[in-house]
This record gives sequence, structure tokens and C-alpha cells, in this order.
Amino acid sequence: MADLIGGIPLFVLEFGDELVYFTPYTITLFLLALTFTLLVLISRPERQIDIAFGGDAYRAKEITVAEMRFRRFMAIACGLATMGAMVTGDIFNFTLFTAMVGITNVGIVAAVKSRHVQDAAYQYGLVALAATVPLFAGAAVYAAVTGSLSMIELMKGTVPAVPLIAKGMLVLGVIGEGMAPFYAAKAEMFRAPGAPYVIMCSLSSLLIFLRVVEIVMLG
Amino acid sequence: MIAELVLATLFGLLLLGIHRKIIARIQRRPGPPVWQEILHMLKFSFKTTWIPKTASPVLFVGVVLIAIGIWTAAFYVLVSGGSLLVILGIYLLHKIVEHGFGLSSGSPYGKYGGVRSVISAASEIPLFVSIAVIAAYTHSLEIARIMEYQEAAGPLLITAFPAAGAMFLVILSKMPFGPFSIVESKELVSGYKTEHFGIWRAGLEICNGLKTFVLLGVFLGVFIGPLSLPLLLLGMIVLVVILAFACAVTPMMSPFDSVTIQMLVTGGMLVYAAFVLAVVHP
Repeated sequence: MADLIGGIPLFVLEFGDELVYFTPYTITLFLLALTFTLLVLISRPERQIDIAFGGDAYRAKEITVAEMRFRRFMAIACGLATMGAMVTGDIFNFTLFTAMVGITNVGIVAAVKSRHVQDAAYQYGLVALAATVPLFAGAAVYAAVTGSLSMIELMKGTVPAVPLIAKGMLVLGVIGEGMAPFYAAKAEMFRAPGAPYVIMCSLSSLLIFLRVVEIVMLG
Repeated sequence: MIAELVLATLFGLLLLGIHRKIIARIQRRPGPPVWQEILHMLKFSFKTTWIPKTASPVLFVGVVLIAIGIWTAAFYVLVSGGSLLVILGIYLLHKIVEHGFGLSSGSPYGKYGGVRSVISAASEIPLFVSIAVIAAYTHSLEIARIMEYQEAAGPLLITAFPAAGAMFLVILSKMPFGPFSIVESKELVSGYKTEHFGIWRAGLEICNGLKTFVLLGVFLGVFIGPLSLPLLLLGMIVLVVILAFACAVTPMMSPFDSVTIQMLVTGGMLVYAAFVLAVVHP
């Protein structure tokens, strides 16, 4: 099993029935989420240049301090949710962190005063909201069939096999949070200025997808 | 390990030079010498460097270091026969690096390169499906185990040819001047890397050299099996020649067409993966 997933757990931290565990794979993902969250903390946003096509005019977009503070807060929250999703050993917690990533992704661009970006964030929010249905339903089927939401129990192979439909719903829920083919609206969100914050939208979706690939290989 | 890393980078850049030369000769141009990409990297290392006034300085510089860091890690995973999942993760994170390069400068050309990079995320899905098929055949995602399997059962290039084709498409999407190179097309000047110059561009060149070496090395290891060093290098050159022909005779697609073709390939691969999982290795 360790061959298929990200290696043997190196460290398990128990909070009652809650588990946090690190494998070489999840440590790699966690460190990447941490690195980009630190970048959000210490970076100032760029001054995006807009060109008026058909002429020589250009202008720099300015981000107000209030807007920057709010978006930085949302980006850090997104980073923390992503880190949680990388290390949790509980499938329900993973789905909660994933849903939080979807909400914070909308928050990162919600304060941008651009109609394009607002429309894209609204459309993305609808898709992400709809995706939480298969996401939580998948976790519910996991619990109903195996009687456990612990990834360590699934890894041991002591619980009944998880049906393919549960794994499919979990993956569909995560894909709906911003992976292809549901990422079209997200691409438009990248028009927003504030590169260090906007990058978190993409990074968080990729990382939770990489984590769910590992999760569905358990059990 | 550092010596191997440097040699892999230089060989990767040499492969990119061969790629450019072959494309040029097919198009009846003389083309640059094959070591041009190595010269580029050296030239940029000693050019005047600064950070644009509009850039987000920490991200502008940090993303170069992250790019080199992730592909160094990928090289280590390849050499140690580690997990294909980690390589998949690094491949996906290269997308974030492209976003970072494009968005951090404030330039509209870089920004649209970054946005196109998000759109072209569809190119990763055939890779996921390839990996699922490989896992079905070999019951492992460790590169070393996959190579052992092929020593006993023959190359996956023959038994899982569609998966090899899908991964070839993934590599093609990362080659310069290819049909899917929409992130650095000429209407965007140089796309996501437009504003990175001097030592920052040299860092990007190093990343590109390593990335080329690692992706071709993974392809050969996963679909051909264990090879001696001379055969591995020869195999990489043969792959680059094939890729160069594909790039030379195919026009660059529009972003919409690029994504459509990648999604069609993904659909075909999903059917194939379902067949493998249901019939060949239930």
C-alpha cells in the first residue's frame, strides 16, 4: 500500500479521535503550501499595467490598503485551510478544509473592483458550492460503508473496501473546487491584480487535488 | 549529487538546443547552434539585472528559486526511483510557477501568459489517467518498482501504448514552439517570462533544462524500463527528435483549440483506463 500512496507515515499526531499524519508525499505538499503562504505574508502586490489597445495609453492599477489587507487575510486563510487539508488524517476534516478553500478562493478576489473578476468569482462560487454536494456525500458514503473516517484505518485495510462511487464523488467534489474542466471561471479570476494572493487560488486547488489522489488510493 | 544536477541541467539545455536546431532545419532555416540554450543561460547570468518598478518584488524573485527548487527535487526523485505521485505533484506545481512568473511583474503580456497557463491546465489530466493505468499494470507508483516490473514483463510502451501516447502529449505541451505552447506565444511577446531578464532568466533557463531532462527521463523509465546511462541519453535525444518533428509540422493552436484537443485526448484516455481497470486488470 505504501508503494501506491505517498509512503509510510513518518509521524502521527493524535488529538483524541482526530489524526494528523505526515508521509513523504504529504510533507512535500504541506511545505509547498507553507512556502506560498509565507510568500503571501511578506509580499506586496504588483502594480498591474493595463494597456488601452489601439493607442499608446497605459495605466497602473492601484490596490488600496484596505483592499490589500482583506485579500491578504483571505489568502492566508486559504493557505491555512490548504495546509490543514494536506496533513489531516480524517476524511471529514479533509472535506471541510476543501470547502473552506472554495470559500476563501472567492474571498481572495471578492474585493476587486472589476466587473470581469466579480462575474468570474460569482460563477466559480456557484460551481464550488454545487461541488460540495458530492464532496460531503462521498465522505458520508465512506463513513456508512467502513464505519470510519480515519485514513490510518483505511490504510491498514482492516475496514470493508470503499465503493468506487464514494471515491468518484470525493474526486468530483475536489475537481469542482477549481480543477479542469470546471476551472474556466477561475482562469478569469486571474485577471485580478495582487499576484501573491491570486496565486493561492490556483495553488490550493492543485494541492487538494494531489491530496485526494492519495486518499482515494487508501482502502 | 551537485555534479549530476549540473550535468543534467546542461544536457537538458543541450536537448532544447537540438530541438530548436531540428525545427529550424525542417523549416529550411539554418537555426542556432545546438549549444545555444547553454550560451543563453551563461549570457543571462552575467547581464545587468533589476526588478521592474511595477513588480511584486518578493514573488518576482521567489518564484525563480521555487522553480529551480521543485525541479531539483524532481531530479532527486527520478534518480532515487521515488514516487511517480511526487513527480506528478511537481509537474502540476510548475503551472503555479508559470502563474507566478506571469503575474508578479505587472506586465499585461506576462499576465495573459499566466492566465493562459491556467487555461492550459487541461494538459495535466491525460497525465493523471496515464498514472492510473500504470498503477493498474504494475501495482506500484514507485519508479524503481515500475522499472523492475518492465524488466520481468516487458516495456509498458508496448502493453500500455495509449498511456505512453498520453504522456508523450503531456511532454509535447511543455516543449517550446509546440502546438500547445500558448503560454509563450509571440503575440504575448514571450508570455509569462516576458519581464524576467538577467539572472532571473538564467534561473528560468536552468529550470527549463532540468525540467526537460526529468520529463524525458521519467518517460523512458516508466515506459521503456531501466536503461544504462548512454542508452538513457540516446533515448532522450531520439525522443527530442520526434518531439521536434511534431512541433515543426504543427502550427500553434489557439487557446480554445489547444484545450479542446487536450480534453478530447483525456476523454479517450478515460475510456481506455476504464477498459484496463475493468477488463485487463480487474
